[in-house]
Order: sequence, then structure tokens, then C-alpha cells
Amino acid sequence: MGTVAIVTENILQAMAAGLLIGCIYGLMCAGLGVIFGVMRVINFAQGDFMMLGMYVAYYFVTSFGILAIMGPYAGPIAGALVAGPVLFVLGVVLHKYLVTRVTGIRVAGLEGEGHFAQLILTLGIALVLSNGGLILFGSEPVSIRTPLSRTAWELGPLMGDAVSIFVNKARFVGAIVSILIAGALYLFITKVRFGKALRAAADNPQSATYVGIDVEKAHRVAFGLGVAITGIAGGLVASYYPFQPYVGIEFVIVMYAGVVLGGMGSIIGAFWGGLTIGLVQQMSTLILPTQLQNTAIFVVFLLVVFIRPEGFFGRSAERT
Amino acid sequence: MFGRRSLLRESLPIVGFAAVYMAVASMVESEYHLLTFTLVAVWATMGLAWNILSGYSGLVSFGHASFFGLGAYTSALALKLFGITPWIGIPMGTVVGAVAGLMIGVPTFRLRGHYFALAMLAYPLALLYVFEWLGYQEVAVPLMRENAAYYMQFTDHRIYVGIAVALMTAAMILSRKIEISRFGLSLLAIKQNEAAADAAGIDIMRNKLIAIVLSGAVAGTIGGFYSMVLLVVTPPSVFGMLTSAQALIMALFGGVGTMWGPVIGAMVLIPLSETLHAELGNVIPGIQGVVFGLAIILVIILAPEGIYWKIRDKLRAGRDDDRRPVDASSAAPAEPSEPARIKPGPDAPIVLSVRNLSKNFGGLKAVQDVSFDVPEGAIFGIIGPNGAGKTTLFNLLNGFVTTSSGSVSYKGGDITGLKPNAVCRLGVGRTFQVVRPFLRMSVLDNVIVGAFVSAATDDQARENALAAIELVGLGGAAERIAGSLTNKELRLMELARALAGQPKLLLLDETLAGLGSSEVEDLLAAIRRIASRGVTIVIIEHTMQAMVRLADTFLVLDHGQVIGLGDPKTITREPRVIEAYLGKKWANRA
Amino acid sequence: MSTTRRTLMMTALGAAGLLAVPAYAQTSEVKVGLIAPMSGPWARQGELMIKGANLAIEHINAQGGIKSMGGAKLKLLTFDTGDSAEKAKNAAQRMVSQEPDLVAATGAWLSSFTLAVTEVTERAELPMTTLSYSDQITARGFKYIFQTSATADTQANTALPAILSVGERAGKKTTTIGIVQDNTASSVSFAKALRETSIPAAGLKLVVDETFTPPLSDATPLVQKVRSAKPELLMLLPTAVSDDKLMVEKLSEFGLGQGKLPVVANGAHFAVPEILKSVGPELMEGVMVTVGNWAVKGQESIIDDFKKKTGEPWMTQDSLSSYGDMWIFKEGLEKAGKADRKAVADAIRAMDTTEGAAKFFPGGRIKWDDKGRRVGATVVIVQWQKGAPVAVYPPETATHQPIWPKN
Repeated sequence: MGTVAIVTENILQAMAAGLLIGCIYGLMCAGLGVIFGVMRVINFAQGDFMMLGMYVAYYFVTSFGILAIMGPYAGPIAGALVAGPVLFVLGVVLHKYLVTRVTGIRVAGLEGEGHFAQLILTLGIALVLSNGGLILFGSEPVSIRTPLSRTAWELGPLMGDAVSIFVNKARFVGAIVSILIAGALYLFITKVRFGKALRAAADNPQSATYVGIDVEKAHRVAFGLGVAITGIAGGLVASYYPFQPYVGIEFVIVMYAGVVLGGMGSIIGAFWGGLTIGLVQQMSTLILPTQLQNTAIFVVFLLVVFIRPEGFFGRSAERT
Repeated sequence: MFGRRSLLRESLPIVGFAAVYMAVASMVESEYHLLTFTLVAVWATMGLAWNILSGYSGLVSFGHASFFGLGAYTSALALKLFGITPWIGIPMGTVVGAVAGLMIGVPTFRLRGHYFALAMLAYPLALLYVFEWLGYQEVAVPLMRENAAYYMQFTDHRIYVGIAVALMTAAMILSRKIEISRFGLSLLAIKQNEAAADAAGIDIMRNKLIAIVLSGAVAGTIGGFYSMVLLVVTPPSVFGMLTSAQALIMALFGGVGTMWGPVIGAMVLIPLSETLHAELGNVIPGIQGVVFGLAIILVIILAPEGIYWKIRDKLRAGRDDDRRPVDASSAAPAEPSEPARIKPGPDAPIVLSVRNLSKNFGGLKAVQDVSFDVPEGAIFGIIGPNGAGKTTLFNLLNGFVTTSSGSVSYKGGDITGLKPNAVCRLGVGRTFQVVRPFLRMSVLDNVIVGAFVSAATDDQARENALAAIELVGLGGAAERIAGSLTNKELRLMELARALAGQPKLLLLDETLAGLGSSEVEDLLAAIRRIASRGVTIVIIEHTMQAMVRLADTFLVLDHGQVIGLGDPKTITREPRVIEAYLGKKWANRA
Repeated sequence: MSTTRRTLMMTALGAAGLLAVPAYAQTSEVKVGLIAPMSGPWARQGELMIKGANLAIEHINAQGGIKSMGGAKLKLLTFDTGDSAEKAKNAAQRMVSQEPDLVAATGAWLSSFTLAVTEVTERAELPMTTLSYSDQITARGFKYIFQTSATADTQANTALPAILSVGERAGKKTTTIGIVQDNTASSVSFAKALRETSIPAAGLKLVVDETFTPPLSDATPLVQKVRSAKPELLMLLPTAVSDDKLMVEKLSEFGLGQGKLPVVANGAHFAVPEILKSVGPELMEGVMVTVGNWAVKGQESIIDDFKKKTGEPWMTQDSLSSYGDMWIFKEGLEKAGKADRKAVADAIRAMDTTEGAAKFFPGGRIKWDDKGRRVGATVVIVQWQKGAPVAVYPPETATHQPIWPKN
């Protein structure tokens, strides 16, 4: 193999990996973006909600023989989709009884100080979920095992015989489902009446109240929806990634970086933000030592935030 | 809170608390409990460090582990690689923490709100990977059997408690000093409303930088000590997200913006977490985290602003019940009598001169080619419907927004393009449409913030503030907390704050908005009193009624353009003005 | 999973039951400790250690307890190091302060935890055995630490020639090698020894050398580099089970799996039951793993008993080591004749035997050098054969013959 071929192959392969992982990151970020955009709540428990999504998908797929019945393609997808409604209900209930006490209109007047209670509340929820996960699910790492996660479609050989690109099947399926769900979310917030209200609440919470949007209800649905979408993303990850109850923290930072990159308040921007993170994470290994691939994320994150604080899709920088 | 307070006297309760803490610790035999005593003080100090930046200035940091971790690695590596005693290594950690604060602060303070918070998150995590890449996965502090005290390795664990308590006490006194200083009040002003603080002449960047440097220094110090307690440093244990979160939790749980908050938080949470861990951790693994999490959730729902404020509000409510709330206007027989105000004559000198001022936001022409002069001593009204460009015009006048073209001169000097705090220092004060007072602080303290710009000393600031409060008619209410004021009184306080900086020109932004008609009268009276002292006033309002009686001259704006300028009575009859306000139909009728 | 939890609860209840034993029994009871992560991301390893230790206690007590102390029974106390070095230190401090009659302890699995814990046990003069193999642990001049497994560099320098010789016997002479490692302490020192000593000594050419920070999100960039460089043998050194799976599956995906590229991993995490569950037997087949300890010839009855009582499919390094540690404590107590930690420490330090507890440690000898490292500690190489990891090296105690992958 010539040097040119090797370099080309490395670049294309890293790009493919980045795109595949980026789509799923994008979906996670879109979930967080709904919550963050509409409620302006920093939710530290989002990674742990994702962990729950992983376990819901795992138990659904492995317990009822679903994998055998539905096969390696449909089975894990069904598991991930089941995680959505389960997590939605959980999100709505948590919002109703806990989150609403420290968010929404009640604390809007407190400005800075009101956010403090939200931070610590979501940290508390994160602790309960991850440690409760240990009690319920045990400490052993698990994953949904299908042949897809270890096989690939080979694109190529290209450039004569030199270059072959491998597209992992499980990740590809996950990426496609992510795009579809993100697309559905996009249609929901641009075409459906209630979705538009959510977006209005995200763009300008104050005006939203003026035009008669029930902010409390918008928040509740946004919280449930955001948790559900991230839960689905977790369910997709479960098909190729082994996890244990403390896995959430590995992802929560990626999610926030993605949301900020995309522009806070922009739900669809969050998807692009997540995709960017995936690409940066994988492609940085072409020029940097692999062990700095996550450092590369933070450097890019900081650069974007400094150069364009409103993110790719944000409308304006946050006011004081 | 501010002024006439000696740090010495303020430190007494802190030193007393530290003495009691130490006395209790010295009665403890078990090294295990002594370790807990040490760690409580360590995390209290870390919480205090966080509070110095985030609690006082309102800039939430998720990244205090950066400073903590750098301090920890500094002292550990200094000892391991160079044999430097921790007695020097820890102060080195202080310096490293302070420098890191400066280096992180300079770029990051360009961001605000959530952007700042999340950007701060990135630093420790990036550092974590860098330290692993450098090969410092596990740094064990070498055991020094000889000269143990020189290397801070004691067999008597009470000494560790002693050092930790000394550091905590120092951090508390530093915090207290900030709380009662001009610097602390400036931070509070920034926390409350950065724009208003800027307009009140506070150098935002400088104050924030001082805060993050102090904060980083404290966190670096305690990090340096932490590695001597643990004797092992790993990147996740000092740079990890949990380290940043720990600082935040201590302060938020105990109460933000007070030095007692982090201390209370650490005293409750560290022993609670450790006890749960000890009693339950090996019985049902995970249950300790669940109980701890539930405890945090429960407390924060009952006391969303932290334990300290909850208790303080409870105590204060008990005390306030006996005291009848004083209404400023009714309980102010000493309300200054109103000297007759003389309108400026035609030959009065011009204070503010605006020439061809324009501002475009993208394609939108917010202000177009506006020119006017304001004579000294005038009450100059700017009116216009919503969205006419009034507030943008104000923002151009005091430097919040840069002009697209045209010029502004004040007392003959060009002030176009100056920063708000520089404009303020020249003697231009300003109020804001949205009032954001510190509800827990006294009226006097709220106003003092505004007095700093012109006062050389703290006593002078206090005097100016009192005079301003007196002038607006809140004389009887100076010591009340702002939270107990009515809407009207808050507006008067806002006025006093702008006045306390002793401006020559005062820009008032919709001061009358949302008030009832009798309340409007009180404010009009206050504004006239201010004008009678020779302060020139420019006031924005979109309701005309009250303004007609107040202003000497009207400038009417619509779609960013001047559509009328002159005597109020005449102007309000002009068809163009009526049309702008009420629509064409009404204009035709007139 | 549910059986695991049930067992754990039973253990807990059992421990509570022991507390309720009437006072006369307490005089004939000796406490030993196990300090390891039981919550947090490494909880599984602590669980495996407890299972091994419990089995040993059961066996020892069933065989008459400590004979020199009138048949005194051993009692295991467990301490959770949680997820951080601070919690580990707290647990250690609690262990030595609140249990003054504890005579010895083992732990704390993660080497950074072991470092923090031994700072406390050393000062309390409590003898502590560990299977952590960071050489830092025994490089601090401590007197009360006993490291049962070979340090990472010894493991690397012993394992590589042994593995190469397996290839040679199968008619495959290896000339190029690759390293993919994470940057945790044990992988770093293992890879350092490979790079600096054993690879040059074997005359191999290092064609790919990659280090990553765990956990990986995707192994593509790493495996792509391996694929381009085409080494004949890959030293695969992650630490987390999730990275193991990503790497092995990606190798398979890129057409390097199932023996096309012989893979040698380091650490027991590569031979635990959960990796079989999440990766599957086909991909693991032929993978060799170097570990500090493993079930070898002559331990069949213990292993059967372990499987029966815990429901685990085999006995891992973590379980076997803590099993053996309990026997070291037992023999130390026999010699000391009293429940005194210093006396027990002296007795352990003076051991020189190839009998009893020594059989549970590779090399088959218990004798400590002046740093507290076990003399003759060697590495065990296990290989995945037909869906289970089996010991293939050292040959004296191996249960199976090593197989060089034939693709």
C-alpha cells in the first residue's frame, strides 16, 4: 500500500467512524438540547437517564426473546424505541414532583440564584439513579450482543485495490435510527402546533408566556421528551457498547459540549453539535496522539465558544 | 453590612468557631474520625474557594477542579521529584492556582451565564487527560520516616486537623473581608446586573479577575494540602468532575454568597456521606449513594437557596413580626421640602449634545440621524411608542452600544465610544428599566454600590449613599432590607443608587413604568427634587401623561427618527406625534 | 445477575448473623479484612474478591480454623473503597481505627486505591496483601505490604518470550509486534517493560505503538493503524471491559479477528465471564491473556466448589487471589499463635514455603524480598479455548496446551 493510499484510507475511515458515532451523539445532544433550550436547566442527570435507557433496551431485548424473534437488526432498534416512552413517563413524573419545584416561573425572578437549586437537584437525581442502578442492575458490565457490532460493510476496494472503508453495521443502524428520530423531532417542532410552542418557549421564554403558551406544560413535555430522546440514544448505544450503572458520566460531558457547540436554545443545532463532537473525536487521532482525543474535543469546544459564543445555530449570545 | 466594620471584630466569630471545632477534634481519639474532621475542613475550604468566585459574583463555575488539581499536583510533584517540603510546596500550589485563575479568567470572562459555566467545565477535563498523557497516572507521596514534621507527615492526626482548620479559617476570614469590602459589593453589583454595574462605574473585568485569582489561590492551596492528606494523587481524584461538583454541592447546600454556606454544607454532607458509606456501603453496595442523593434532593426542595439562608430568613421573619413595616412616605415627616425649581433659561450651558447619531443592527436602523441638545438643569423627556429606539438611544449615550455614526459630547468633550464605566466616571448616571435589587441586603448597602464611582473612601461612599437616600425620600428606610420594599420604594432606591454616584447628568429609563397614579406622583416629586439640586435629567417614558407635567422639553422618537422636539404641550398636539402614538385615524381627527 | 445479587445479600445477612453470635464465641474468632471497591465503576471486581475470600473462610473454618489458637474461626470484614482514592483512604482509616483486633487485610484492587490504603495500613502496622501489580506499591520502603502478583514489568518480560516460543513451536516465527495500550498505571508500566526490555531482547520490530485514554468511544482509529502497520502479534492492553469489547470486535470487523492477528492481552478483566457475555466465544477464541494469578492444575475441587456456591462460570484472578490471601493469613496466624497484627506480620514476612497457601500463587512459593514482593512470582498466561479461559503457562501447572492461532 502506498503512503497516499494509507493516508487516504485513514482519513476516510476516521471520517466514517466520526460520522457514525456523531449521529448518535447528535441524538443524545438533541435530547439534552430540548431540555436545555426550553427550560434553561442544566441537567446533570441526563447521562444517568441515558444509562436507564440502555438498561431498558437491554432488558427488553434480552428478556423476552425479542432478539431471537425480531433478529439482530429490528431487535435492538425495538429495544431502543421502547426506552423512549418509558423514559418519557419517568421524565414527566420527575418533573412534576421534583424539577418543577426549582424551575419554571416560580424561580424565573430569582435570576442567577434560582439556577443553583436546579444544579444541585439534578446532581442529587444523578446520584440516586446511578447508585440505584447498581442495586437494581448489578455491577457487571453488559451489552446487547448481536453479530452486527462486530461486522462491517466493506466499501471498496477503492483507488485500485488499496483503500477499503469499513462501516460497522451496529453503528450504522444506530446512526440511521438517530437521524430518523432527529428528523421526526425536527418535524415535531416545526410543523406540529405544540412543538412550535416548545420552540417558541426555547427562543424567547418571556414572549412565549405573552402569547398564551402554558409554560409549565411546555416545560413538562420538554423534560419528558428530552429524557426520552436521550434514552433512545442510550438504547442504540447499548447495541455495541458495554455499560454499567455508572456509565452516564462518560457521556454527559459530550452532550453538553454538543449542545453548546450547536447553540443553546437551538434543538436542531444540538444535533449538529453532537455530530461535530463525533467527527472531532475520531478525526483528531489523525494528527494528535490518540490519548488526547478527548482533550481535542475540549479545545475545539473552547475555541468555538470563544470565537462564536452563540454556537453554530444560536441566535444571540446569552444576556446577563 | 458595609462600612464601619472592622475586620478584626468580624473575624471573632470565625476564630471562635475554629477554636470550638479544634477543641472538639482534639478530644477525638479515633484517627478515622480525625480524618473526617480534616476532610470536612478541606472541602469547606474548597467550597469557600468556589464561593469567592461563583457565590459573590454569580458566575457559576463547573471547573474549580482545575485549581484544586493543579495545587495538588504542584505540592505532590514538588516533594516527589525535587524533595521540596510541603510547607513550601503548598504555597507554591497557591501561586499556581492564582496564575491558573488569571490564565483561565482572561479568555473565559468574555462569556456569560451558562456559556461561562460550561466553558469552565472543559478546563479540568482537558487537564485530566493532559496529566495522564504526561504519565502522572498515580503519584504517590514518598514516605518520610525521618524529619517527618518537615515533610508534613505526622503520626498525630490532630495536627492535620489543625492545618486544615487554619486554612479553612484563613479562607473564611478572606471571604468575610470580601463580603464587607468595596470589592465584595462590586462583585454583588456584577452578580445582580452586570450592565448596571458597568454603568455605575465598576470595572467589571478587573473585579472578576481579582475574584478568580483569589478563588484559584484558595483552591490551589487546599488542593496542595489534600495531596498531603491523601498521599496519592491521581488525575480523576483531583481533576474529575466529582471534584468540581463537590465544591459546588458544599456551597449550594449550605448557602451561596455567604462564607458560612460552604462550611455548613461540608459539616453536614461530608460526615453524612462517609457514615452512609461506612454503614451501608458493604451491606448493599450503592444504597449509600441513593440515600445521600435523596438527602440532597430533600434539603434543596425545602431550602432551595441553601440551609444558611433558610435559617436566616426564618430568624429574621420572627424578628420582623414585632416590627411594623415602615412605609417611607408616611413615616417621613422629615421629607425634604420641595424648593421651587427654576427651568434653565435659553442661555444655559449645554451639558449633553448629540449630533447625527445613528445605529444599525444588521439591516435594522434602530436609531437614525438623531440630534439634540440638553441644557444644564433641564428635565429632558424622550418619548415614543414601544420599539421606537429609546433604550437603544440611551445605550448609545452611555456607551453600552457602539455608535454606527454621529457623535455624543458631554460638557463639550467627546464621549462617543467610551466604555460605560468611563462615561459614568465623568458624571453620567443611569437607571434601568428592569429593577434587580439585592433583596437580602439593606437599602443602604444597595445604594452604596452606586456611590463607589465618585467616593474616594468607603466612609465617603456611605455618606453620599445616605444623602441620596434622604433626597429621594427613603430616609426612614435606609436599614430595611430591600426585600421588604414596595415596588415604588424599589424604584426610589434605584434612583438613589444612580444618584449616589453624584452624577451631573442622570439618564432615567422608564422609571415610572408599572406604577399606580399616586405612586407616580411620589416619583415625580423625587425627580423634581433631584433636578432642583442642579442635576440634569434625561428621562425615557412611553406614557405621556405624567411626562407632560414633568419635562421641560420633549423629544419624540418613532422608528428611530426624531419626529418632534420642543415644548411638551405643543409637541403633543402635532399630528405626526399623535399618529405615531394612536394611529392615522386619530391624527386625522386632530 | 439476580443470582449475583442474591448471593451478595446472603453474604450480607450471613455477616449480620455472625455479629449476633453469643459472647463466648468471640474469643475464638479472628478478624481479617478485605478492602476493595464494592460500589462505583469497579464494584464488580470487589464482588469477585469477596466471593473468593468468603469461600476460603468457609474452607478454613470447616477444616478446624486456626489450630494453634484452639480452633479459632476466621471472620471476614469487608470495607468499601467506593469510587475514589479519598473514599479508599477513609475506608482504610476506618478499618484500622475501628477494628483494632483486625490482624491482616487484603485489597484494594485498583493500584491507586492500594497506594492510598497502604499509606494507612503501613502506619498502623497492619499486614496487607495485594494483587495490584504496580511496582510503586512496593517501591516506597514499606514493611507491611506483601505483593503477591508479579509486578507489571516482570509479567511483561516473562510473558513475551513464553508467547513467542508458542508461536515458534507452531512453526511461526514472529518478527513484528504492535502495542495498543490505554494510559492507566498498570498498562503503562507493562508496555514500558515491553518497549524497553522484552521487545528489543527478542529482536522484534515494533511497528505500531498507540496509547489511548479510556474509555474509548470507538476503536476505529486504533485498529485502522494496526491494520495499516500489519504487525504479526498484537499486545492489546486496555483496562476496562468496554474497551476490551470495542477493540476485539473492531479487530474482527476489520478482518483481523479470530486468529488472523494473534492477540495477547494483559489483566484479568480480559478473562472475566462478562466479557464472554458481551463479546461472545467466537471472537475470544485463541486470545491470550497474561494475569497475575489463575486457577491451575490441582485446584479443581476448589474451583468446582466456587462455581457451585457462587454461580460464576469460572474462578478469576480476583477471586483466586483473595482466596489464597485468606490462606496466607491463616498460616500466619498459625505461626504467630495469637491474634496480634504485628506478630502476624512477622510470621508472614518470615514465610518460606512451597506448601499450603503457596499453591494458590503462580510460581508456587511464598517468600518475600525486602520490598515485600513475592519471590518467584511469575505470570500466568491463560488462553480462551472453546469459550473459557484456561491456564496454558507456566507449563508445570498449565491445565491446557497453548494453541497458536492458525489463520
